[in-house]
Formats: sequence, structure tokens, C-alpha cells
Amino acid sequence: MAEVPDFFQAMAGKIGRTIHKKRRHYFEVQNENLHEVVTYLFKTMGCRLSTATATEVYRGIEVLYHFSHDPTGTYYCPRVLMTDREKPQMNSITPIVPGAEWIEREMSELLGIEFIGHPKKVPLLSRNNPDFPDKPLRIRRTT
Amino acid sequence: MSQTGQIPVGPFHPLLEEAEYFNIVVDGETVIDIELDIGWMHRGHEFISEQKTFTQSIYLVERICGICSTSHPLACVHAIEDIDNIEIPERAAYIRTLIGELERIHSHLLWFGLAGHFIGYDTVWMWMWKYREPVLQLFEIISGNRNHYGMMRVGGVAKDVDPARIPEMMNVLDMIDEKMQMLAKVANDDPVLRSRLKGVGVLKHEDAVALCAVGPTARASGVDIDVRRDDPTDAYGLVDFNVPVLHNGDVYDKFVIRVLETLESTKICRQCLEKLKKVPGPILNNVKEIGEGEGIGRYEAPRGEVFHYIRSDGSNRPVRHKVRAPSYVNIPTYVASCKGIPLADALITLASVDPCYCCTERSLKVVDKNRDPFTVDLLKLSREKTEAIRRQIHGR
Repeated sequence: MAEVPDFFQAMAGKIGRTIHKKRRHYFEVQNENLHEVVTYLFKTMGCRLSTATATEVYRGIEVLYHFSHDPTGTYYCPRVLMTDREKPQMNSITPIVPGAEWIEREMSELLGIEFIGHPKKVPLLSRNNPDFPDKPLRIRRTT
Repeated sequence: MSQTGQIPVGPFHPLLEEAEYFNIVVDGETVIDIELDIGWMHRGHEFISEQKTFTQSIYLVERICGICSTSHPLACVHAIEDIDNIEIPERAAYIRTLIGELERIHSHLLWFGLAGHFIGYDTVWMWMWKYREPVLQLFEIISGNRNHYGMMRVGGVAKDVDPARIPEMMNVLDMIDEKMQMLAKVANDDPVLRSRLKGVGVLKHEDAVALCAVGPTARASGVDIDVRRDDPTDAYGLVDFNVPVLHNGDVYDKFVIRVLETLESTKICRQCLEKLKKVPGPILNNVKEIGEGEGIGRYEAPRGEVFHYIRSDGSNRPVRHKVRAPSYVNIPTYVASCKGIPLADALITLASVDPCYCCTERSLKVVDKNRDPFTVDLLKLSREKTEAIRRQIHGR
């Protein structure tokens, strides 16, 4: 069974600032390392993607994935930060984790993030809205 | 797309009473694809929660779903407590677990009834909803409400359980156990029911893993996960229970797994009630403020893992509150489990996930492989198939 140190040893150099709490690990990952980290979590360790959270923060727009390692009840949460608020882009993890399709489409709609490599780039929630907004839904509250 | 071809499994149907849209593509009688379309009920809970205090957020998320009206607040308080590692009194832990398990029993009884109705067993429907009623009355005894119990607080629960009422609660649990044994016997003995459910709408293990399915949907396909056991909170680390796991992934296994889970839930409720006779109060720790940080809370709802993520900046309200209900990850499994099945089995396959339409729609359109729409009543088709099997087996 892959334990916590194994993951952080295996991914040394690819992980930035980390917050460890009881059975919760939040860590920053550069966009170029995201696929490698997610492949290790999903395929090597057998983690399950619970969901992902996109948030506007002071430094830009952040996407936080929540991977649950069910045998140990632990969460591994890779965090990707995009500093370009006007045109946020990052790699999609849907080609690795098919279960990420809906949540990435939703985050794209809410915050205008472009997920590069996503197999179905159509809105999830507002596809049938006849008056589709020209700006991302959430970003309008701060601009 | 033409507006013709809308079929009457619509807003007035007991299961599809909320907004949801599935487009089923068929070749003759066989389903060859299913397109899912959500977003008809975007209610903005996450955004609203950021305008509320932590305590108000708990009441808000309680109203996401009428059936899971404990699961969401429980996951929400777990997330808030996770920020500051807040502990709760032992008595409160047992009360939380008792409420959570009673909710699982009433939700599964509701599903058994609907599943029976869909395949033409209306007696099962009426029986199960009749047996569900005393469970709702238990909620009234405990919290004063049959639904939206308002029990959860950061640091404990709002109301105590009166020890004098415990014997009558035990009687209801005995009744539920007896009826579940009867239902298990029916599922095992009735050849029509077996023919109707066995091997129908199979979700393969690898599809369940790839699509990150949760709850009974995942456990019927051999994915051994259960938040109550894997990441125990409240009293789940203090009580004895099993997590049933089956491997065929068909509707029959999803049926059986819910029967077994209901029996496990009554077992947990009994243990909690026995403890509540002896474990003294208090039921609430006084939490004055929530510090800066982020927390993850989850709870094994009747349909699977409910997930809440809360970020706090040290003020009295969340700066980000993410909510993910189990149906959000279970509904995409339809595509994997419906392909290649007869149209008459599509309805029970869709229902077998026990989809919560608060998360997801309303009408259903069928098109043939040339994309020409036509009309069909899926409920009628499903019940006719059961009748045909019954005539074939019983000769009448």
C-alpha cells in the first residue's frame, strides 16, 4: 500500500508548498507537472477523484483537485495556480481521469478556465440557456 | 432538435419530478447511446453560502436535498470542524450517527418502493412507503421535524435524545428488520423479479473506477469504498458494522446491496441507542470562532459520498464553499451501464443509481439511430416486460 512518504518521495521536485494536516495534504503543483502527479495518484496509488474546486484568490485563479485515497482515508489535493486572470489556461486531467469530465466543464463555465486537452469543450450547466452570458459566470462579481 | 418525442416520464413522475434531461439513442429496441444534459436547476448554493455565516450555511445546505437533509449538513460541519480540528462530545457523536443511519433507512425504503413501481410491483411500492412512515416519525420524536431536522451544529448537535423514548424507537427498528428479511426473501425467491433485474444494466468494475462512482453504485461493482469505515467520523469508529460489497454490477446487485445496507443501518442504530441510555451529555461544545484555513468534510450519504470543501479567512463566513453530491459522479455511469440494453430495461437501470434530481432534470426524449425522434412510454414498456416474464414463468 502506498503510504504518504512514498508519494512525496516519488514526486520530490515536482511539488511546491505543502500543507500537511491530519489525513489531508494540500500541495502546489506546476501545470507542466500536473499530469505526472495525477497519473501517480490515480493509476499508481489507486486514488479516486472526489471533485475539484476552482477559486478566485489574490494571486490569480486556483484549481484544487481532491483525490481520496480510500484505503487510508487520506486526501491528496494538488493545487494549480494561474496568474493570468484574463485568459487562464491549464492542462485537463480528463484524459487520465475520465471522472473529471463534468467538473472541469463546470469550472470552465464558472471561471473561464480553458482546460487544454479536454475531450468535450462544451458548457455543462448553461448549454441550453438561450441568453448565454459572454463572460464567465463567477468572475463578474469582482470585475 | 425537434420538440416532438417528449414522453410522459416527466415532471409528474414520482422519481423524475425535478429537472433532468436524458436523450436516449436507440437502434430498434436496443439503446446504443445516452446523452446526459444537466444544468436545469442551477441554484447557486455555493455562491449563496459565501454570503452566510458558518451556522447559516449549515441550514442552507440542509435544503439542497429533501432526502439527504442530514448528509449535506453533516459533511458541512465536518468540513468546518476539519479547519480547526474541533472535537465533539461523545453523546453528540452517537446522536449524529443515529440520525445519519435513520436517514439511510428511509432513503433506501423509498428507493425499494420506486424500483418496485418501475417494474410493475406496485405492492412493493405501497408496502415500502408504508414501512418508511414510522422511520419519519422517529425523526419527529428526535428532532421535532419529519424532514430538515436542523440537528447539526459545529461542535455537536442541537437536540438531545430522550432516553424514555428509546424503547419505542427499538420497536420500529425491529419492524424494519423483519420487513427487510421479507424483502430479501422475495428478491431471492421470486423468479420474475430475478429475471427482471439479474444481468440488467451492468456497470463494470473498471468503468466504476474510471468514472469515480461512489456509494451502492460503486459497491455493487466490486469497489470496496465507504466513507464511514475509511475515514470514520462521529461514532462510526465506535460501532460495529460491515460494508457489503458485491461484484456483478447489475441492478439486482444494487437492489441486494441496499437490503444488506439497511440491515447494517438498523444494527448501527441499535448500538447508538444502547449507548445513548448510558453516555452522559453534553451534546454541544461551545465553538466561538473558526480560524483561517481550509477543511474537507464528507459523509457516506445513502447514495454515496457527499463532499464539502470550505475555506475560511478567519472571519465568520466561508470565502469558498464547494459542494459535490453523489449523483454528480454517479449519473455519468449511465452511459457505461445503458449501452446495449433493451429499451424496456433503461428505466430501471437509470433508477438503480437512485439519482438525486436536486443535483441533476425533467423529461426524456428518444431518438432512433438516424436521429429521428419518436415517442415511447418507458414506464409502460418496463411494466409490460415484467408482465411478459410473469406470463412466461407462471403460464398465466
